[in-house]
Amino acid sequence: MSAPDQDNHVVLSVQDLNIYYGNIRAVKDISFEVHEGEIVTLIGANGAGKSSTLRAISGIIPYKGTISYRGQDLHKVPADKIVAMGIAQVPEGRGIFGSLTVRENLKLATWQRKDKAEISRDYERVYSIFPRLKERLNQQGGTLSGGEQQMLAVGRALMSRGTLMLLDEPSMGLAPVLVRDIFKVLREINQSGTTILLVEQNAYMALRLAHRGYVLETGRVTISGTGQELMGNPRVKEAYLGG
Amino acid sequence: MNKKQIVSSSLLLIAIILLALLPLMTKKNSTINLVILLLLYMTLASSWNILGGYTGQTNLGHAAFFGIGSLITRLLWIGGIPFSIAFLAGGIGAVALALLIGIPAFKLRGVYFAIGTLALAQILNLTVSNIFPEMSYNPNLADYQLMPRYYLFLVLAILTIGSAYFLVNSKWGLGMMAVREGEDAAESLGISALKHKLLALSVSAFFAGLVGGAFAYYHVSYYLSMPFGPEWTFDPMMMAYIGGTGTIIGPIIGAVFFVGLKQFLVWNVGEYHLIIFGTLFILIVLFLPGGLVEAWNKSRRLLQSRTGQKKNRVVPIT
Ligand SMILES: Nc1ncnc2c1ncn2[C@@H]1O[C@H](COP(=O)(O)OP(=O)(O)OP(=O)(O)O)[C@@H](O)[C@H]1O
Ligand SMILES: [Mg+2]
Repeated sequence: MSAPDQDNHVVLSVQDLNIYYGNIRAVKDISFEVHEGEIVTLIGANGAGKSSTLRAISGIIPYKGTISYRGQDLHKVPADKIVAMGIAQVPEGRGIFGSLTVRENLKLATWQRKDKAEISRDYERVYSIFPRLKERLNQQGGTLSGGEQQMLAVGRALMSRGTLMLLDEPSMGLAPVLVRDIFKVLREINQSGTTILLVEQNAYMALRLAHRGYVLETGRVTISGTGQELMGNPRVKEAYLGG
Repeated sequence: MNKKQIVSSSLLLIAIILLALLPLMTKKNSTINLVILLLLYMTLASSWNILGGYTGQTNLGHAAFFGIGSLITRLLWIGGIPFSIAFLAGGIGAVALALLIGIPAFKLRGVYFAIGTLALAQILNLTVSNIFPEMSYNPNLADYQLMPRYYLFLVLAILTIGSAYFLVNSKWGLGMMAVREGEDAAESLGISALKHKLLALSVSAFFAGLVGGAFAYYHVSYYLSMPFGPEWTFDPMMMAYIGGTGTIIGPIIGAVFFVGLKQFLVWNVGEYHLIIFGTLFILIVLFLPGGLVEAWNKSRRLLQSRTGQKKNRVVPIT
């Protein structure tokens, strides 16, 4: 895909991000930006620091450096307010509430919202994207299949109505067909106006979908470029696309 | 309302009417006293359950809130302040104490809250027994009547269980359960774990404090440190687990079961009842994590699927 207008607004800006777990520096001086309407992906191997970066943006873990959303510094903003500002999230491992029903899981995502009429319209939108969820509204989240849980996680992020969506490995544990379905949905969500920051190990799918990407290696950004550039990059090819 | 709701609300209504009319049906004080004990335990177990069962935060010091409520109410009331004010002050005092321990402990997450509450109750137990080593007597013994005490406990039990019901069926209750299921996941949807834990803790402590005040009103004489004892934490906890945590009916059933079994065992095996209770508790936690409520639901589902299969041999492939 080609990138949207270059002079678009910066939605998310991460500058010199450092994340420490005790003495271990898991993320080292990372900087990147996400512009309005873009799909940006962070790819990298296990332990590269992808999830840590997303957790810092969500306000769940402490960090050094600057993260700002639409020009506003997020450093002192608590996690629940960050969601209210419009950052919807699909956390690593999906974060489904196992003993709550599908309906309750979706409803929880509207916790910060007050626009009743819009909410019921968004339910219909989620059901039309994922008809399977509609059939299983009263089923417990924990008894859904892996793919269904991923649909629920994305559905929930849609219900929280962000203008920026953070996704942590939505392809994890899914059959190739389902991965394709989920990525198709992500493209549709993006085309209807939501900016996306996608963390993936499935570099091939992620780079095909994304406008731009950053490669993260042991806590540092080593290569960046448009999705196509990265797919053509010999080093990326060798390390992440299987030669 | 569906059929199930009509049945359960009529059962509830009958139970409340029977309890309200009980003093007319029996003149035996021992019966009334037993029901008071039952109501007290239902209130304690239900209030513990709001935080421990619905929000997933293990409170090992519920006795601290029960105790502080009884202490404040007793001292103010015996000191000449009208009972209603002393009673309310006990509940509010319990909330203040709860926030004092809850705010720092919940910010740290993890086991700090469980350890903190356990320590708090023990420290208060020791401190109060040092400051007030003498037995506390009700000076107005001549006025003592059992009936107002009985109705205070009854109203309080209804109020606690009713509030728990409305809370857990509200938006905030759903948020509490989400926090129980996964704090990070809840936060990622914009649900503040800290706020929900503090809300659940405050409501839980408030009712524990109030029932402590009722305890102070009820007992003619007792050591002021007595309601801080660990049994006021662990018995109600056991009741909630036996009945089923995270359900409204669980602590109620658990309290009835616990008090009934205890009466029976104390009568028959004396002190050994403690061992039997301990074993029972371990067995339930290990093999029946959902308590009696879960066992009932499971066996009903099993029966339904058996009879269902007999009627309809063609099982649809799903
Ligand atoms: N809570 C934690 N405590 C200590 N170290 C942690 C913690 N969370 C992550 N780490 C470490 O930080 C590094 C980066 O972890 P992170 O989860 O961000 O990786 P990732 O890129 O998401 O990997 P994956 O693709 O396997 O999910 C790893 O070395 C990990 O072991
Ligand atoms: Mg990860």
